[in-house]
Order: sequence, then C-alpha cells, then structure tokens
Amino acid sequence: MGLVLWIAPLIAVALSQFAKKARTLHAISIGVSLVMLVLAGYCTHAVMVAGELTYTIFNGLFLIDSLSIIILDIVTVIYFLTSIYAIGYLQEEVRHGKISSEKLRLYYMLMYVFLFAMVVALTVSNIGIIWVAIEATTLASAFLVGFQNDHNSLEAAWKYIIICSVGIAITLVGIIFLHLSSVDVIQSGDALKWNVLLSEAKHLDEPVLRFAFIFILIGFGTKAGLAPMHTWLPDAHSQAPSPISALLSGVLLNSAMYAIIRCLTIVNKNSGDSQFAGRLMIGFGLLSVLTAAIFILSQKDYKRLLAYSSIEHMGIIALAMGLFTPLSIFAGLLHMMNHSLTKSMLFLASGNILQKYNAREISKIQGLLKTLPITGTVFLLGLLAISGTPPFSIFGSEVNVFISVFNADQAGLGIVLILLLAIIFAGIAATLFRVFFGSADAGQVQPGETNLPGALAICVLLIAIVVTGLYLPDGLKDLFIAARQIVLGG
Amino acid sequence: MEHYLDLLSVLMLLSAIMLVSHKRIRSYIRTFRLQAILIAVIAGFMGFESLMTEGSIDILVICVIIIALKVVIIPMLLHKTFANVEDVVEKDFYLNIPILILMSCVLVVFSYFTLSGISGLASGHVNLQVVNAFSVILIGFFFMISRKKAIGQIIGYLVMENGIFVTAIFSTHGMPFIVDIGIFIDMITAVLIMGVMVVQINEKFDSININNLRNLRG
Amino acid sequence: MSTITYLLLQIVMIILLAPLVNGVIGKIKALTQKRTGAPVLQMYFDLHKLMQKSAVVSDVSSWIFRVTPYIVFGTAVVAAMLVPVSVRILPDSIPGDMIMLFYILALGRFFICLAALDTGSAFGGMGSSREVMISSLIEPSVIVVIFTLGLISKSTSVFIIMETMAQRGSSFIGPVTILLFLAMLMILIAETSRIPIDDPATHLELTMVHEAMILEYSGRHLALMEFGAVIKQMMLMTLMVNIFLPLESFVTVAGFPGVALSLLIYLGKMLVLTVIIALIEVNTVKVRFFSIPNLAALSFILAFLGFMQYFVLGRS
Repeated sequence: MGLVLWIAPLIAVALSQFAKKARTLHAISIGVSLVMLVLAGYCTHAVMVAGELTYTIFNGLFLIDSLSIIILDIVTVIYFLTSIYAIGYLQEEVRHGKISSEKLRLYYMLMYVFLFAMVVALTVSNIGIIWVAIEATTLASAFLVGFQNDHNSLEAAWKYIIICSVGIAITLVGIIFLHLSSVDVIQSGDALKWNVLLSEAKHLDEPVLRFAFIFILIGFGTKAGLAPMHTWLPDAHSQAPSPISALLSGVLLNSAMYAIIRCLTIVNKNSGDSQFAGRLMIGFGLLSVLTAAIFILSQKDYKRLLAYSSIEHMGIIALAMGLFTPLSIFAGLLHMMNHSLTKSMLFLASGNILQKYNAREISKIQGLLKTLPITGTVFLLGLLAISGTPPFSIFGSEVNVFISVFNADQAGLGIVLILLLAIIFAGIAATLFRVFFGSADAGQVQPGETNLPGALAICVLLIAIVVTGLYLPDGLKDLFIAARQIVLGG
Repeated sequence: MEHYLDLLSVLMLLSAIMLVSHKRIRSYIRTFRLQAILIAVIAGFMGFESLMTEGSIDILVICVIIIALKVVIIPMLLHKTFANVEDVVEKDFYLNIPILILMSCVLVVFSYFTLSGISGLASGHVNLQVVNAFSVILIGFFFMISRKKAIGQIIGYLVMENGIFVTAIFSTHGMPFIVDIGIFIDMITAVLIMGVMVVQINEKFDSININNLRNLRG
Repeated sequence: MSTITYLLLQIVMIILLAPLVNGVIGKIKALTQKRTGAPVLQMYFDLHKLMQKSAVVSDVSSWIFRVTPYIVFGTAVVAAMLVPVSVRILPDSIPGDMIMLFYILALGRFFICLAALDTGSAFGGMGSSREVMISSLIEPSVIVVIFTLGLISKSTSVFIIMETMAQRGSSFIGPVTILLFLAMLMILIAETSRIPIDDPATHLELTMVHEAMILEYSGRHLALMEFGAVIKQMMLMTLMVNIFLPLESFVTVAGFPGVALSLLIYLGKMLVLTVIIALIEVNTVKVRFFSIPNLAALSFILAFLGFMQYFVLGRS
C-alpha cells in the first residue's frame, strides 16, 4: 500500500501527457496531491502503531520510520496546499499570456517527477538511492526554476544546476567513503542501508567514516542551503515561479537536511559523542545565520529576502542538530516542520504580490493591505512569524533551541545567535514593513484578490502555524519523540 | 594485474592534467573521450577480475554502459550542442597554462597528503590508485572553476563524475549495482539538461561566457 | 683491456652511427609525404662535403667563435663516452654520473650561445636568447628526472641506474617509469631542438632557435657543430632506451654471443625510438614560442608526478 506513494506520481505524469484541456491538468494535480495526502496519513498511522513501515520487496528498499514520516507528512501537506494555490496562480499567468498551455503541461509533468524523486528520497533505506533521488530533484527542478525563460531566471537555473550538481557529486565521494568504512562489517546485500549502518555503527572504520561525513555534510549542505555553499539559493528561490519556490524552500531543503541527519546519527553513534560531527554542524549553522543576517540587511527584492531567511532557518536547524542534546534535537525537528509551513505560506503570498504588482523590487510595492487584503494580512503575520514572534510556531522551536544552547553551557554561542536573530528581525522589519502601508496608486493596480484558491491555501497555513505555535497535539508529539530517539541512536 | 591498474590510474591522472592544458572546445571533448576510454578499460579489468573470482557480471555491465554513454553518446551530444553555439576564439581562462598545470600538481600533492592521513585505506597499490582517482576529482573541480565558457563547467562536472566512479571502483570494487545505474541515469540527464540550457543561454546572452551571467548579485 | 673495448664500442655505436638517426628521420618524413627523399646516409655525405670546404670567420669575432666548434664537439664526445650502450661491456671505472652528463652538455650550450652573440648578427643574438630560455625552462624537469631515477637506483651513476632498471624487469609498464619516460621524451625533444620545440629544417627567422645559433658557421666548423649536435642526440636517445626499455631479460646467453645479442637489441630499440621521434615530427607542428612554457610545465609535472608516484608506492 505504501508503494502506491511511488506509483502515484508516475501515473500522474502519464495522465498529464494525454490531458487535452487545462482543467484536466489542474484536476489531475489536485487528485494526485489528495492521494498522496491520504497515503501519507495511512503510513503515519502505520508508523505510529508499529514504529516503522517496511516491505520486503526490492530487498527491503522501502523503509519509513518516525523520522522519515515527519518529513514525508510535511512534504505531502505542503504539496497539497501548493497545488491548490497553483491552480489559481497558473490560471492567472495563462490569462496574462505568460504561459502557453504546452508549458502548463510541462510544468505539471516536471512537478510530478520532482515529487516522485523527493518521495523516493524519503522512503528508501539505501543511502545511495537517497543520493540518486536528491540529484533527480535537482534535475527535475532545473527547468522549473528557469520557467520564465528570461535572462535572470536562466542565470538562476544555470547556477542552480551547476552548483547543486557539483555539491551532490561531492556527496557521492562521501558516500563512497561511507561504503568503504562499512565494507568489512556489512555484507554486500545490505550495503549502504542506513538501518543496518546504524545498528553496526560501532564497528565502522572511524577515520574513514569521519572523512566521509565531511564530504556528505558539504555536499548535502549545498542542497540544504548551508553557507558557504548557499550561493545558488537566493537566485533559484527568487526567480522560480512562486509555487515552485514554496516547494523548494519548504520541502526540498528539509529533504537534504534529513539526509544529513541520517549520516549524523551514524557518525555520532560510531564515535560515542558528538564532538566531531557536532562541531562541524554548529560551525556551518552559525555561518549560515551570519550570512543571512548580513545579506538581509541590504535586500531589494522581497523573494530574495525570503530565500535568505530560508538560509537562516536551515542554519538554526543545523546548529540544533549539531548540539545533539535531546531538547535541541526535538527543537530542531519541530523547527523543520514550522519553518516549512511558514516559509511556504510566505512564498505563496509573495506569488500573489508578484502577480498583482508585476514587480520584484520592494520599493515598487506599497499599500499592500489595501490592494490585497487577505494576502497582505497573511504576509504581514508571516513576516512576524518568520522572525520568531509569538504566538507563531517558529517562536516556540527557536526558544527551545536557545534553551538547549544555554543548557549545554554554550553561553557565547547562544548570545551570538540571539544577536544575529535580532539583527535579522530588524532587517526584515526595516526593509519590508513599508510595503504594507501607504496609498496604492489608483489605476496602476486594481485592488482585490485574484487568486482565490491561493488565498484559501495560505489562510489554512496561517491557521496551522498559529495552532501548532500554541499547542502540539499528542500524536504529533509522540511522533517527534520517537524521531528524536532514532536520531539519538535508537 | 595490480601493475596494470596502477598504470591505468596514472594514465587517467595524466589525461586529467592534459585536459587542463588545452584551450579549445574540441580538445576538451576529445580529451574527455580519451579519459572515458581509460575508465572503461579500468572497469573492464575489474569486471573480468570479479567475474573470475565471484562470478558476478555487475561491473562488466557497467563497463559496457560506460562505453555506450561516455565514449559514444556524451561526446556526440556535446559536439552537437557546441556546433550550434558561437565559437569566438578568446582566452578561456584567467591564469596561463603553466600555472594551471602547476596548480593541478599541487592538487595531486594535496590529495596525497589528505588521503595518507586516513588509516583505513590500505597502503601501497590501493593507496596509489585511490590518490590518483581522488586527484582526478579535484582536478575536474579545478578545471570547472578555471574556465570562462560554459562548456568548461560541463566538462569539469563530467571529469568529476569520472573521478568519482574510479575512486569507487578502486576503493570498494564498485557501489551497489542499482546505485551505479542511478548515478549513470542522473549523469546523462544532467548533461542533457545542461546542454539545453547552454543553447538557451547562447540565444539569450549571445555568448557562452559565464561572466555575462552576473545580474543576480547580493 | 675492457676499457679500450668499451671506448671502441662507444665510438663505433654512438659516434659513428649518430648521423644515421637524422637520415632515418628524414627518410620517414619523406615517405609520409609520398616522396623518395634523401638517402639514409645523406648526413655522412654532407659532413664529408663540409670538411672539404674552407671555413669563413668574421673579422669582428673573437677567439670564442673559433674555439666553440671544438668545444661543442668535444663535450658531445665526452658525454657519449659516459653513456654505455650495453650494460655488459663496461670499463673498469666510469667517471661521473648523470648530473655531470647534463652539465657537460650545458657547457657546450654555453659556448654556442656565446659564439652566436660573438659575430654581432641579429640572428645569433635572437637564437641565443631563445635557446637559453628553452633550456632554463626544461631544466627543472631534467633535475627531477635525474633525482627520481637516482632515488630508485640509490645512486646517480649512469651505469648503476641502467643496471637497476634492467633488473626491475618489465619496468616500462609501470606508473613511475611511464611518467618519467614521457618527461624524458619531452626533454629529448627540447635538448635536440626537434619539432614541436624547434624546427631543425627551417631557416625562417620566426622559427629558428638552434639553426640561428650556427648560422654564421661554415666549412669544418659547421661540420663539427652539426656532428656534435647529432652525437648529443644519439647519446640522449641511448640514455632513454637503455634506462626505460632495458629488455635485458631477452639476453639469456653469456659471453660474446650475449654481447652481440645485446648490441642487436640496442640497435632495435634505437630504431624504435627514432621512428617515434619521426612520427612526432610528422604529426605535430612547431608550437608558438610562448607556448613552449606550456610544454615545459607539462614535462615538469610528468617528472614530478613520477617522483610522487614512486613516493606514494612506498619506494617499491
């Protein structure tokens, strides 16, 4: 049953090939995302009951445990809401003549391949296949990033594919050495399976494993947006069409971070403590937050600012994972979920703004609350949320990260972190709060929401982040605790 | 047997350094093809050895795939792509060739010192092969960053993949079969996509000089 | 006794056979260009003709101009004596080693460069400066090759190096030796002024290096200079084939038949190397002068990598 997760996107690709009208394409999209949502719910239930879900087909390739199911759920939920948004967005784009119907079909087909690759990455047990899948997501989304086909988006797409392919190639070197460290211990049939590697972690060859981890961190860190390998991220996330930006920022970064966490678990179990790997992750995380803080202060493009904010939050997650205390791991996993929901909401809202104002620069946008009441409100609240304001969910996970940092006697780190986050808040506020007020020039932009399904989607997300900021349901909390147990070494 | 593998790894390193010393697009593609042939020979050797000892034909299948993909299809694709792109004879790199060659040599020394610090790698023959293969990865990366034209980045990526494949073969006798197949599919798709993008870049920017892509900054 | 045998053998094999190499190369070039070309013994006839003619010496030149041909010829002959054609025939004691070998050749080159400047002609000065640049670029490669071979054989004496390489067996097919062989090939091309570094058959100002330096010579001086150059070429080729392609394992008999067989093998190897040089000459072009540092860097890297491979292989 869980294997339908793999088959559904492929069937969608086949169906889209034969669809004749735009309405059919949109219907297929909603259908597939609903199917994936239901399947994810089924798998979540199975994992909550049994701890993990696996089938013996393909030599036990399909394997989900609590950690992967959290990320998988985030993927399917955000994908569902994004598909709803995309209907309105794409209809508006077609109406303005920017996209032809052939391009619409290409968009959806690439989306399904992208979804397929991401789901495969999250549900397999073989680290090599995770690698193949994440590289496939890069390739599938390359044309999506360059969808507008103008100078800037072509440049963004080229940078994206080159930097991410090189990063992924570096990861492959790491995986080779990971394989080398396990060659004496694990039989060839079980090679590179993370569950087997985790159980045999103590017997792996330590120097080779550490060497491998450095490469895997740098490589998957490129895909996850950690500085200094982040240079593709602002371009790609800002030039891509907004539903794609939401998916890239909310979902793909998480998948890459998930892969890093899997390897981190193995390395930490091998060395007994988190000195080596943890320090590396804290270093990269801090550097990411610092980079984001510096660049946010001088941004002129609002989508680019949101992209830098993604870098910042990925840095916080990396830092939390590197700290490797029970509280910090829980906070990190929670932060992954909160950031995904908030960031995708923001990107979808920014898509509405882009469609209405037809401008990417912050200086050209004003009177947002009057022209787009729903989107404007959501955008304003979302900016407050992403900077860490209560009662939104990001505040909760960030506070927990700080508590764990101070509990681990890293007061200096904590103070620097708080300072940087304050700078980021100030930067976002100073740069972006002017777009909401002021008078909208009459005749230039018509007030009123143009993307009603989109407005619905972002309101759902807003409600979600308020709810999870105030109260975490018990089932969800148990899932996170089980995932934390897995990260700590099982 | 080990002797011939040593020799082949050295020749592969040599082909990587030769690549750095070339100036023209045709030469890049031809040297890449030569390197692909060397890799196919290495894979063939290892494949025969594994066939004799374990009776598995995995590596031989991969050898055939390499010959089909890297020796035949990819150079043909690259030639076709770059035939349609403008071919201005201009200096393709910032530093001159002797310095580039010396830097590749520094990379070889660097990879030797890095890998010799890891006690998990056997010393002697395997160490030599892995050092050579790892250096090819670094030289491919260096080639990528030292060229101004877009073709340099594609060829650099392909040379990196060559080096990675050979590192895998020398240190662990190959990755699991399904992973190798996945890697090849990814690689050919990546080259296809990069090729299409280069054509689009040529149309929009009227040159394939990467330095023209500088609008998005900060 | 054996010293005299050795000296006689060296004179016959290296000095007397030296002009044959140029003849064979010329013949191969002609054949690839589908013409008959000059006979293989042409250079002997040329040298003989030149010795008959009188030498013309410029008034403004000094004693260096007159002395240089003899020095060049002398250093070439001395160098030729230092490189055995076969490890089976050796004198009681060979003086000097590889380093002395290359610096004897450097002495000859020094005097040629001075003599070219001596007549005050523009061509000579141009040739000297180019030659000095090429030789200084190729020198690091020479040093690294010498020292790697010395490390492998634990001595820099030419004889011990040849013997060690002969004992290593099929040493041509090995990571270290193939790199050193390729580096040495480029050194050979640079030292003997062949394509792609310098064209030995051109008299165009743009392309001359060695030819520019001997442009002012005539008669017996020119004969000595040219003879010295081919002896140097023969000597370097002997060095290469005997070190990198020893093939001593084919000589299974001892005594006189063994020596004869070894000399025959030597002639065969020289023929192979001559053909390789001729093929390189036919298939490549003389590179732009400022591309010569590229070739020199490549040669240096090859030698250095050979050294490193030896180092990495754990001195095996």
